[in-house]
Amino acid sequence: MLLRGLQLAAIWEAFRVATASLRANKLRTALTLMGIIVGVTAVIAVVTIIKGLDQTVAQTFSSQGSTVFTVSKNPQIIKSREEFIRSNRRKDVLHEDAEAIQRTCTACWRVGIAANAIETVKYNDQKAENVRIRGVDPLSMFDIDGVSINVGRIWTESEGASGREICVIGPDMLKNLFNDAPADRAVGQEIRIDGRPYLVLGVLEPLGSIFGFSRDNVVYIPYSTYQKTYGSRRSLVVFIQVHSTDQLETAEDQVRTVMRNRRGHLNGDTDDEGFALETQDVFLNLYGSATSNIYIVTIGVAAISLVVGGIVVMNIMLVSVTERTKEIGIRKAIGARRKDILTQFLIEAVTVTALGGAIGVGTGFGLAYIISALIGFPLLVSVASAVLGVGVSSVVGIVSGLWPAWRAAKLDPIEALRAE
Amino acid sequence: MSDATLTLTPPQSVITPRVEIDGVYGHDPRMLISMRNIWKTYQMGTESVHALHGVSFDIPRGEYIAIIGPSGSGKSTLMNLIGCLDTPTQGEYWLNGKNVSEMDDDELARIRNQEVGFVFQTFNLLARATALHNVELPLIYGGIGAAQRHEMAKKALSSVDLTERMTHKPNELSGGQRQRVAIARALVNHPSILLADEPTGALDSHTSMEIMDLFERLHSEGNTIIVVTHEHDIAARAHRVVSIRDGLIEKDERIK
Repeated sequence: MLLRGLQLAAIWEAFRVATASLRANKLRTALTLMGIIVGVTAVIAVVTIIKGLDQTVAQTFSSQGSTVFTVSKNPQIIKSREEFIRSNRRKDVLHEDAEAIQRTCTACWRVGIAANAIETVKYNDQKAENVRIRGVDPLSMFDIDGVSINVGRIWTESEGASGREICVIGPDMLKNLFNDAPADRAVGQEIRIDGRPYLVLGVLEPLGSIFGFSRDNVVYIPYSTYQKTYGSRRSLVVFIQVHSTDQLETAEDQVRTVMRNRRGHLNGDTDDEGFALETQDVFLNLYGSATSNIYIVTIGVAAISLVVGGIVVMNIMLVSVTERTKEIGIRKAIGARRKDILTQFLIEAVTVTALGGAIGVGTGFGLAYIISALIGFPLLVSVASAVLGVGVSSVVGIVSGLWPAWRAAKLDPIEALRAE
Repeated sequence: MSDATLTLTPPQSVITPRVEIDGVYGHDPRMLISMRNIWKTYQMGTESVHALHGVSFDIPRGEYIAIIGPSGSGKSTLMNLIGCLDTPTQGEYWLNGKNVSEMDDDELARIRNQEVGFVFQTFNLLARATALHNVELPLIYGGIGAAQRHEMAKKALSSVDLTERMTHKPNELSGGQRQRVAIARALVNHPSILLADEPTGALDSHTSMEIMDLFERLHSEGNTIIVVTHEHDIAARAHRVVSIRDGLIEKDERIK
């Protein structure tokens, strides 16, 4: 509405004057920009980082699939001390529980068990520390975990039941134990886990890492072997997979019924079912609430710095109007209308803030790039957030420039010409 | 106040005939400038100060006129009114067939852009802009396209012999050159009047004479020139001198 009736030449003149005056006062311009830059940088960096993490998380969990849920003694995410104490009082989840679920649950497609230990793995004089040793049974646990064999083979059913020292290694083992040798070089070799020799049958396809933690730093062994080494009375995790997500609820209900029958209520603690049934929603919800908190904090930081930035811009614009009273007088004398002057100062304010926004978008992406390179997740540069960053800062420019510009526009030409 | 309109003092101008309509002296449509019974009153606290009380005169197209008077005589007020920087408290002012006495701010800005070319004592050029850009400025606000604007501005600068200095900024020019840039800026839009306020006040006597020679030439080319001054030798270069004292026209004489 304001721009209607304004000639393009006048707008260009305003822009020219704006950039000239910004160039003439470089330090002042830099200080003015600071608040806007900080605000936009924060938003762009956080949005970009979280978008990258979102993608990583989505990929990770879809490899295991949202058709999987678990039954275990201790929940995978413990939210309070009470929960920890309570879950520790529970009976262990054992192989028999998995068998009962397998027998009774009609909606369940695959049922498997897994238990983890952290060990040091050796090959000749090479050593890999903090390796996840995963004992699994039956073979369908590989499918539930979403891992597949790259080179070599998985053990057979009978091998798995025999309790023999055989294993399938994650690709990190190639790097850490075999000096990055081709995968087929590792097959048939003997590695040592906690001093015991294991024959390498196969090497897994790489899965990549999440939040800087490699998912390939793993050795799979048969559960029977795991049990032999680590004892049978250790709690394990039952993994249940359904065909499709719409069966998930039915399967969960059936599993819950089975487990309740097997547990009853422990120690008169009627609130506790005696087991933890969790879907990946647990992770996703935790992740979602963590990121939404980060979003809120960031938006808060950005809002504060944009408001402060806006006040600084308004202040600088008022100074600018005062300094250029004479110029305004000259322009009015030779025919500038109110809206010409108003536009000139508005454009000047918007030019500063949009510039700040653009720089903020740049530094935000830069910051996100550095952090993504350090942590290891994809950098998703979103055009929408760049446009939003510059857009919001332009709006800040209009809002904070309006009053100074209006003061300039309604100056009396005679008074203004008299100014020095 | 409406009584004042009816009890108008007889016209002081002897040069141009008055047009009388229904017993009231109205504006003369043949004139470029026609002022009737112009009052300008300022409110100073509780007191009203009359800077002008009932000034009437006409200026035909192509005249070279000086308005002279001591400081505080009301000549600056009159100049601001002629230049459409201000509107009279009362009275009628017709400029080039338009009644500008009742216009609002933006309409006045339009008139200043199209009809008035200002030349100030202190030049009033934009310090950061080149001579060419300074001259282009009225055309920018007049909505003239870039190519035509450059052409017109260059022509105006060459008419004041500044073709060589087009890309210079004001601080790279002498006082006389700056004033010539200002004159080029005033002329670039082909305004009805060239209104100069003490145009030689900041110049040495030699440069002053150059500027006055330039005015004479511009007048001979058909421009209407109004010079407001307190210096008699500057006023003497005009063809008609209007003397202002105490907010009234004291004398209005043709000298050439």
